[in-house]
Amino acid sequence: MPDYDAIVVGAGNAGSAAAITMASKGLNVLLVDRADPPGAKNLSGGVLWGNDLSQILPKWQSEAPLERFIDNKKIGFLTEKSSITIDFKTKYFDENKVGHTVLRAKFDPWMAKKAKEAGALVIPGITVDSLAIKDRTVIGVQESGDTITANMVLLAEGVNPRLSIEAGLRKPLQDRELSVGVKEIIKLSPQKIEDRFNLSEGSGMASEYILGNLGELNIGAFFYTNKDSISLGIVSPMEELRKNGVTHTYDLIEMFKEHPSIAPLIEGGTVAEYGAHLIPEGGIESVPQLYGNGYMILGDAAGFAFSNGLVLQGMNYAILSGIMAGETAVRAKSMNDYSAKSLSEYEKKLNNTYVLKDLKTFKDIRKVTGNPKMYTVYPQLLEGILLETLWERGQPKKKVRDILSEAAGKMNMSKVKTLTDFYNIYRRM
Amino acid sequence: MLKMAVMIKQVPDSQDITIDPVTKTLNRSQARNVVNPPDLNALEAALLLKDKHGGEITVITMGPPMADVALLECMGRGADKGILVTDRFFAGADTWPTSFTLASTADYLGGFDIIFCGEETTDSSTGHVGPGIAEFLGYQQATYANKVEYEEPYFIVERDIEGATETLKIGKPAVVTITLNANVTRRPTLKKKIEAYKKGVTLVTNKELNLDPNCIGLKGSPTIVKDMKTVADPVKTPVKPSIEELDKVVSVLVEKGVVK
Repeated sequence: MPDYDAIVVGAGNAGSAAAITMASKGLNVLLVDRADPPGAKNLSGGVLWGNDLSQILPKWQSEAPLERFIDNKKIGFLTEKSSITIDFKTKYFDENKVGHTVLRAKFDPWMAKKAKEAGALVIPGITVDSLAIKDRTVIGVQESGDTITANMVLLAEGVNPRLSIEAGLRKPLQDRELSVGVKEIIKLSPQKIEDRFNLSEGSGMASEYILGNLGELNIGAFFYTNKDSISLGIVSPMEELRKNGVTHTYDLIEMFKEHPSIAPLIEGGTVAEYGAHLIPEGGIESVPQLYGNGYMILGDAAGFAFSNGLVLQGMNYAILSGIMAGETAVRAKSMNDYSAKSLSEYEKKLNNTYVLKDLKTFKDIRKVTGNPKMYTVYPQLLEGILLETLWERGQPKKKVRDILSEAAGKMNMSKVKTLTDFYNIYRRM
Repeated sequence: MLKMAVMIKQVPDSQDITIDPVTKTLNRSQARNVVNPPDLNALEAALLLKDKHGGEITVITMGPPMADVALLECMGRGADKGILVTDRFFAGADTWPTSFTLASTADYLGGFDIIFCGEETTDSSTGHVGPGIAEFLGYQQATYANKVEYEEPYFIVERDIEGATETLKIGKPAVVTITLNANVTRRPTLKKKIEAYKKGVTLVTNKELNLDPNCIGLKGSPTIVKDMKTVADPVKTPVKPSIEELDKVVSVLVEKGVVK
């Protein structure tokens, strides 16, 4: 008889959600993580949309180490001298409080603790060496020459899924499937944060930008408020960084911090932490075979992250995939069938949720977010229109139509191509 | 079969510690807790003896309930048992009551052939506790050891005496403190960690030890921290020498034959 019903590799949001789901239904679960405390090495941009968390941890809003609930969301462009944002502040966010900034080094150990309370054995500080495979079935994990066996192994090993790749369960990752996020946490007093961002106690702001001040580089940026710090950083597709081999990510984050509309917001703050992480942004094409004999793949390891230029989300996808995998495992145990056929239930379940639906709906989003004009011409065009309409310079005023055609002429934009771009945005975003 | 103990302490990771400029105390709240680094070398010294001669290793720490993970980490590396000495009466202890309480624990557990300690802790660096335990128990002692061998009935201990090595032959029972990086520590394994977490640690409180409340914890501590000063970083003034001055420097260097 195997040592465990299920071994979960990785105590991130996906792994812990799966462990909680299974252990609370009486399964004998081992959750292993390389960090001590478990999950402490994890990193993300920072906003957790916790709707799904309520399914397994109904009291998460009062118990989890959360930073601030988001009641103000901004999206926009930065050009060299301007910032053009949509500033959305709403009581709808306020009343529901489901979007929260979190610091994963605190949040993930809490979730792992919840898995322990649910009955899972949580082992921190161990990196699993490889999967144990027999007769084309995953039968456990190997570490320091020992084999720990289980009916099922749930691979929640994160964006760089070494075990899955080495076992041939998925292809090695390509540049086009990944982005690089670089992040800093800047300490600032709660008082200053609340004053600077027009926030009340506990409420927070999250913003995402397209950086139009870095030439052709396709770079996004984020800026979130925590309790007593700011999380900010940049996100760039791996391909872009390779193409522009001379530009370092730490220079890019500095350029973002020095922007005239960002610098005053962090003035007087001190950098407390910095980090970098890969983000799976390959969309539906890079989602691997999600299950097989004795295994399932979850969260970032399965490529479950979503980006459409307006939002970048991953934690909610991780949590929901963890719950779905956990429920599938509970069902497999009840039927005593851990074959690929039994575990295919996992994919069926995901097909009915936003996890796979979103990735399918937005399968061509790269045509929009990868369009270099989004980072060059369009921010400048917008800035030009606003300068013409909102800046009184003692000149005769022009109609928007004329401003547009003049600016378009100056920037050498073809009308057909521009129309195609807008059609793409309209169709795919 | 050797009966061995390793005394360890959970300390804040020294990379994460800052000094609060107002209260002048160490700010450990942001720091991750780790096993005091030389204590892992002490554990390794015990494990090496166990590999060769067999025996049982008990890891002992005094600290708050959350210090159990430090013991479990050591058990994951091969120690057999973990003893957590914890009681609110033990809190606030300096090195005197700490040595006294740990020595009393060793006594309560029936004594040991050899007790290993790290040379000192990274959060207070006194190096008192190992020798203190030896004195309270009346054991032989050897401090700052790099290597310990066992040739029944003696321990052969190589001590680092800065620039030379002193080799001692000491009898049982003994306390030996081990230097940082004296050996290459082994990593915990998943299998041993699972066993450790399933087994858990044993608690020892003052109910078991029954020590005089005046000799333990803050009450039993003769040390008082009167003040702590933080020293400001020295101001660095960049030097911008003139061409003439640079020429002078070069000519001196040529004169002395440093450059040609």
